[in-house]
Amino acid sequence: MENEENKPASISTLSIIQMRDVSASYDSKNAILKNVSMNVHRGTNYAIVGASGSGKSTLLKLMNGMMIPSNGIVLYNYQKPDVKNKSYKKSMAKIGYIPQTLGLVKNSTVMDNVMIGALPRIDGVKSFFKIFPKKEIEYAHDILKLVGLDEKSDRKVHMLSGGEKRRVAIARALMQKPHVLLADEIVSELDSVTAREVMDVIKDAQQKLNLTSIMIHHDMNLALEYANRVAVIKEGEKVLEIGVEGEQIIDFQTGNLTQQEILEMYSESQK
Amino acid sequence: MNPKNNLLVGAIIAVVVVTSYDVGVEPIAFFEGLPNLGIVAKEMTEFESEHWGTAFWAMLETIEMAFVGTIIGVLISLPLSIFAARNISSKFVYAPLRALLAATRTFPSILWAILFVIVVGLGPFAGILAITLYTVGFISKLQYESIEAIDYDPVEATNAIGLSKLQLIRYVIIPESAPHLLSQILYMFDYNVRQTSILGIVGAGGIGFYIINYIKFFEYGKAAVFMLVVLIAVLAIDWASVKIRDRYIMKAEHGRQLKVSN
Ligand SMILES: Nc1ncnc2c1ncn2[C@@H]1O[C@H](COP(=O)(O)OP(=O)(O)OP(=O)(O)O)[C@@H](O)[C@H]1O
Ligand SMILES: [Mg+2]
Repeated sequence: MENEENKPASISTLSIIQMRDVSASYDSKNAILKNVSMNVHRGTNYAIVGASGSGKSTLLKLMNGMMIPSNGIVLYNYQKPDVKNKSYKKSMAKIGYIPQTLGLVKNSTVMDNVMIGALPRIDGVKSFFKIFPKKEIEYAHDILKLVGLDEKSDRKVHMLSGGEKRRVAIARALMQKPHVLLADEIVSELDSVTAREVMDVIKDAQQKLNLTSIMIHHDMNLALEYANRVAVIKEGEKVLEIGVEGEQIIDFQTGNLTQQEILEMYSESQK
Repeated sequence: MNPKNNLLVGAIIAVVVVTSYDVGVEPIAFFEGLPNLGIVAKEMTEFESEHWGTAFWAMLETIEMAFVGTIIGVLISLPLSIFAARNISSKFVYAPLRALLAATRTFPSILWAILFVIVVGLGPFAGILAITLYTVGFISKLQYESIEAIDYDPVEATNAIGLSKLQLIRYVIIPESAPHLLSQILYMFDYNVRQTSILGIVGAGGIGFYIINYIKFFEYGKAAVFMLVVLIAVLAIDWASVKIRDRYIMKAEHGRQLKVSN
């Protein structure tokens, strides 16, 4: 028992997010997630894949505290995520969360949406009148250049294409100067060329800003291409977790595998 | 039509007949009185054209009153609608506020005008106060309803970033609920011009004062001039607001539709 308690503490210097035996449900009856454990190290590009309805979005909501587990423990930087907790809410400013629906303010401009990411660090009264420090405005333009939307910064969001909207959501998240990026299927609805463009934007930003990412994907190939660790969720359980290092794919239960084998295993796990 | 609907239509007809009897609807009196309308109509065609000038200035005063009342009313409504929205404010704030707003809408503006004539005396100021009050009741309701109907996604997403409530209102709630505001203001102004035209009946300023006095003294020819001016003004404002709506609101909608097909 004592050993069990000590274990996560020793790993946590490396980990940014830990989950241990986490279960969660929306009502008190049906468990959506069952005994999920995972450990996300700083600097990792972590991917979560699984069928529709398997509980991926729920997992992400647990990580940033929009939901709290019914069982088990979730830790983000030594804290239990919970939106309702005032002191934790401060650290949410550093979690770049992009929901599946993006959550953009459609009647506002691209720039106003991106600035929302900076609001927690800007004085309330000044921000009410849209008075921003020069530094923040410059930073917003830098981010917009990074995602390739600087010329459209005055455009209303409802007049953008699907791919462009995703870039705005990414820019808003990056504007937070986040330690970790949680993105829920931001490229799933895009064609594979645009999807890769958007993924490259994130990859680029990750290298420049040195951040950890946890991204949900629909497409296993995309996950293997961009992530260095992939967790497979099936019906609320983690059925597979693999490491990816260049060409090498390691299943932590069975050892080295080829990409073909992993894809087969994946499709097998989804049956 | 299914039997259930037939029954419903039958029931409605029955209720209309019974209540008409109750309130003394007399079709015969209507037809007997029709010739009187002929007399009025004939006299009305005998315009007394030296009154056009007076009518014009009275109408201008009416429009000015409606304009001031609408604008001040809208300015008061904007913060009130935020306090009255159930998804933003606490129950202890929105419940009494909504009751108060409902009360202002209960009476037509002419009743408020009577009250304000008692408070501030005869003249346009009483009328402006009445129009303002009615506008507050109406626009606040329309606005808190559109606040309550906004898309919840951006609210949830920005809440996860850790915005303060004031920032949430400024950056999410207001932009998301504002698009209908222009259309609502135009509608309200249009409505208020018509309302203000009759406020003169109770001495609260505007063109209604002339109309009611001439009618009282059976000077239909003079009254007709003033009524015609009201008609022209209302039609002109109606036409202008359609133009403004087309230009600013349809355009925005159009842009949105274009994107859907993209
Ligand atoms: N707000 C909610 N209230 C009740 N049940 C919910 C709610 N959100 C999700 N669920 C249920 O929880 C389960 C998992 O949902 P979740 O959104 O986590 O799935 P997902 O893996 O993200 O699916 P998708 O790939 O379609 O986005 C589903 O069965 C869903 O019906
Ligand atoms: Mg999902």
